[in-house]
Amino acid sequence: MILFAGETVAWALRPPFRAGLVLQQMAFVGVGSAFIVGVTGTFAGMVLALQMNVALRQFAAEGYVGGSVAFSLARELAPVFTALMITGRSGSAIATELGTMRVTEQIDAMETMAVNPIHYLVVPRVVASLLMFPVLTMLFNLMGYGGAFMMGVFVSRIPIGPFIFHTQELVDQHDVGAGLFKAVVFGLIVSVITTWRGYAASGGAKGVGEGTTRGVVASSIAILLADYAITFVTVGA
Amino acid sequence: MIEVRDLYKSFGDNHVLRGISLTIPRGTTYVVLGGSGSGKTVLMKHVIGLLKPDRGEVMVAGKVITGLSGRALTEARSVFGMVFQGAALFDSMTVLDNVAFPLTEARKGAGLSTDEVRKRVIAKLEVVDLGEEVLDQYPAQLSGGMRKRVALARALVSDPQIVLYDEPTTGLDPITTDYVDGMILNAKRRLGITSMVISHDVASAFKVADRLAVLYDGHLAAEGTPAEVRASKEPFVQRFLSTWFEKQ
Repeated sequence: MILFAGETVAWALRPPFRAGLVLQQMAFVGVGSAFIVGVTGTFAGMVLALQMNVALRQFAAEGYVGGSVAFSLARELAPVFTALMITGRSGSAIATELGTMRVTEQIDAMETMAVNPIHYLVVPRVVASLLMFPVLTMLFNLMGYGGAFMMGVFVSRIPIGPFIFHTQELVDQHDVGAGLFKAVVFGLIVSVITTWRGYAASGGAKGVGEGTTRGVVASSIAILLADYAITFVTVGA
Repeated sequence: MIEVRDLYKSFGDNHVLRGISLTIPRGTTYVVLGGSGSGKTVLMKHVIGLLKPDRGEVMVAGKVITGLSGRALTEARSVFGMVFQGAALFDSMTVLDNVAFPLTEARKGAGLSTDEVRKRVIAKLEVVDLGEEVLDQYPAQLSGGMRKRVALARALVSDPQIVLYDEPTTGLDPITTDYVDGMILNAKRRLGITSMVISHDVASAFKVADRLAVLYDGHLAAEGTPAEVRASKEPFVQRFLSTWFEKQ
């Protein structure tokens, strides 16, 4: 897989640059996943706000609910949840599509027509993922904070002033930036693993199914490991 | 045009090719016959550089292509067109985009306008008796025979010197099989193309071949003109050919 990733980087730097294919994949990975990411974000924010409210009320610190939720979302929940949701929706589709192309000899056909399949099929998917994972993570942040605001202000009756004031106090651009950095790393991980699993598929429909399952499982575990590693390095023990 | 020298290939303990050597002169149609799993497709994939041999080499138009990679291999492949067993059309693209693919995506097509590409696609579809009405259809909307024809049009669109056919008549009814045989003969007659055909269809093979080889147990059991192969005393060759000739 490391060789495959290296080859992908090398081909990404070579012309022709297929902007049309990248846009197509951005629409698939980004626009196509926006709904599920938005719904997940909203509910994650709502649930988190309710739980935080129960915990912080004991210290008469309900005003910190908004800030706590926003901080958790920005640094951890938004990048991790978004990456896991995209893996389930788009990563599995990428592995299946490329796997089917492999076992029906469409990838071989591309090679015989003097077009490198990594350049044509893999690079646009990886570039689109690198661009769209942070965008969707921001969507998750916004929808999650919106959900927390609704629960905190309208259901738990937390005054709007402290809710927003403490959010500004607890969360700054570095927290959001740290989450977006993770999103870029996760985008790279998911796109490389799922394209590789599809690209290397063999053995007909069963092989494609196995490749997809392995791609999704490996991506999910890699996301969690990378999240821990980045947090450990940036925050410390 | 194509020269295969002492080619060996194994997958684990499965020794698929054991010292294959053959020569395909320019402008001839060369058919490799053999049973299922005899390594015919593996041999063809070596010829176009999709597989690398354990030993031996392949020369195309005087250049050794074995061991090439990257841009050099891409250039070596530019003389080829290939028709895959299952057609291998891109199912997310229309017929127009499929046939145009070698022109629009490979470097050799750079500089052609959309209109020129469309004209060339229509011209190649005419060679295989398909009209403009199929241009906007997707592979899933076509019959098996039509897909093979589109695949041949795609293989011909960049005016290759060599076309490789992998089991071109497998799974087709007798009328479509006859039609595909005609297409192969036609491509040679009208365009002067060198062809290599992989098949287990004895009738088709004897119809289109200038030269024939029978692959068995990793080596060529017989090789020569159709008449020479027909006269071969090799037991496997006799048994293989009798499956068809005894019906006649």
